Amino acid sequence: MRILVVEDEAKAADYLHKGLSESGYQVTVAQDGLEGQHQFSTVVFDLIILDVMLPALDGWQLLQIIRRQAATPVLFLTARDAVEDRVKGLELGADDYLVKPFSYAELLARVRTLLRRGPLRETQHFRLADLELDVLQRRVSRAGERITLTNKEFALLHLLLSHADEVLSRTLIASHVWQMNFDSDTNVVDVAIRRLRAKVDDPYRPKLIHTVRGVGYQLTEAP
Amino acid sequence: MSRASRPSLSLRLALMFALVTALLLGGIGFYLYLSLNKEIAFRDDQALRGRIERMAGLIQGYEDIDALREKPQLYANMLGNTEHFFWVLDSAGTPLITVNPADLPVPDPETGAGMTLRNGGEDTPYRLAAMRLEKDGRRLTLVAGRLLAEKQRMLASYRMQLLAALVAGTLVAFLLGGWVSRRGLRPVRRLARQAATIDSQHLERRLAGGGSYRELAAMTAAFNRMLERLERGFTHLSRFSGDLAHEIRTPLNNLMGQTQQALSQPRSREAYQALLVSNQEEYERLSRMINSMLFLARAENATTFHREPVDVAATAQQLCEYFEGMAEERGVTLAAPVGGQVLANPELLRTALANLVANALRHAEPGSAITLATAPQSGGLAVTVHNRGPAIADEHLERVFERFFRADAARSEPGDSGGLGLAIVDSIMQRHQGRVWAVNADGGVRMTLWFPGRASTDG
Repeated sequence: MRILVVEDEAKAADYLHKGLSESGYQVTVAQDGLEGQHQFSTVVFDLIILDVMLPALDGWQLLQIIRRQAATPVLFLTARDAVEDRVKGLELGADDYLVKPFSYAELLARVRTLLRRGPLRETQHFRLADLELDVLQRRVSRAGERITLTNKEFALLHLLLSHADEVLSRTLIASHVWQMNFDSDTNVVDVAIRRLRAKVDDPYRPKLIHTVRGVGYQLTEAP
Repeated sequence: MSRASRPSLSLRLALMFALVTALLLGGIGFYLYLSLNKEIAFRDDQALRGRIERMAGLIQGYEDIDALREKPQLYANMLGNTEHFFWVLDSAGTPLITVNPADLPVPDPETGAGMTLRNGGEDTPYRLAAMRLEKDGRRLTLVAGRLLAEKQRMLASYRMQLLAALVAGTLVAFLLGGWVSRRGLRPVRRLARQAATIDSQHLERRLAGGGSYRELAAMTAAFNRMLERLERGFTHLSRFSGDLAHEIRTPLNNLMGQTQQALSQPRSREAYQALLVSNQEEYERLSRMINSMLFLARAENATTFHREPVDVAATAQQLCEYFEGMAEERGVTLAAPVGGQVLANPELLRTALANLVANALRHAEPGSAITLATAPQSGGLAVTVHNRGPAIADEHLERVFERFFRADAARSEPGDSGGLGLAIVDSIMQRHQGRVWAVNADGGVRMTLWFPGRASTDG
């Protein structure tokens, strides 16, 4: 998968390049709008990450050029989160946006979603190691033992399982499980994870729910 | 703002004075002129009438009209001057007696019964009185007249005098009006001078001049109230900037200190990881603070925002689920309200309520309950959050909603919103034209969100 990152801020471009490469993507960085346009016209990309404030040719102009030629998914980054800005970006044909400062885990989650072309296959039955979850029957079991979860605990485990091996940020978890889109400074998510662990992980081995310090949580077999 | 380009208020007032005077003098002059004119005409007519009657008596007294014709000096003397003229005409219109110094044409003898009066003459206007008379079977017509030139000259001169008086009066009114206005507006100029000395460094100054005049007192008071609001806002803002710098300094200090300390010598991988994680926490704190700041700044400048009827119970229920885990860990239970509907922005209502619940959780006694409730109040709906726990000092009850306010200046709880949570609630309520307040009650603190407007508790 090829990703074009158009970002003039060197440090940001650098960590996006490193991070996305580590996640297995082929990353090309363009330092300004004109270079971005040039890259776009020479190579076929699967996703474009576009900073709005760019020298030479700004993000909105580049987005219009891109949309005239291709339907490549575009994720735009903006430091101004005024509603008009977001609306403008989406009206010009961007697929998603992130407001700076954003968490890297959040960016990665958005990138994965945008690259998952076509409608998401609704999995009804999840299995990771000896942990099983059945969406229709609302059943969870580990090592063959039935585990009783509250609604929110079930929703949290469902989210973790459907994004197995991905690091999920607290913000993403809060918005998916509780539909809380505001920036919460409470440790609600940590508490919820702790309680889920007590039921799903603590009595068993290997541990499946991992804390990625400073980033979020990850459900994975590999430690 | 140049002085020259703006019309002066004194000048304007002076002109208005002059205009009023001109209208008044003009009106009076016109009226006087008309009455004088009428009076003169009436007297002239009376004189003409008298003359004809006297002549009629004279003619009747003589046996023969021809005898009278022989003594012209009789009536010539009587007539006196060249302004007057007189005819006695027979029925054919032939003058029997003529006194006509101005050489006027002989008038038409036809006249109605009794005394008739009319004007005549294009170039030399005159006034005529005529009367028919039967004398010895002859029908005579007596005509007496008077030239109007003299009278018109007099009236013209009178008009000129009136006009001169009008112009002079208007001029005097203009000058006096200007002087009076300048004097009268002196308190205004004094106010302007005072106002000119007020700037951002001297917002505590107030206007004092013009206090004894009712009109100016109202303006001065309104202006002073405006200054008071400005001063409060300004003080608030500058303290806020100071607080903000201070609040940002704390995480920055942590970041710089621990990073420099870590870099001062080679360390293990784990140590670097721990440093990065710790830094990440500080970054998040800064980021949250900036988001809150932006939220507040935007709320102040926002012009439009969407409102709809929101079911408070559903929102509260959602929040209870959200905070359930945290509450249980602290041994606190959450009780949601029975119902109620408000006209609000759903996202903002949830944020406000979430901040109150988070605050309540932070201060709730273990083992107690946090109660969310709704009740109609003062034509609106009150949504309350109550927690048992330490009371807020009375003098701080209002200040807890100020930005960065902490009852204990040294206390800074890790993970709190940097003292902005309740300020955000306040800002949200202001946008809804509502209020938020705190009271110490029932062994703890009750925070109330009050939404105005028709609300229902059965929603």
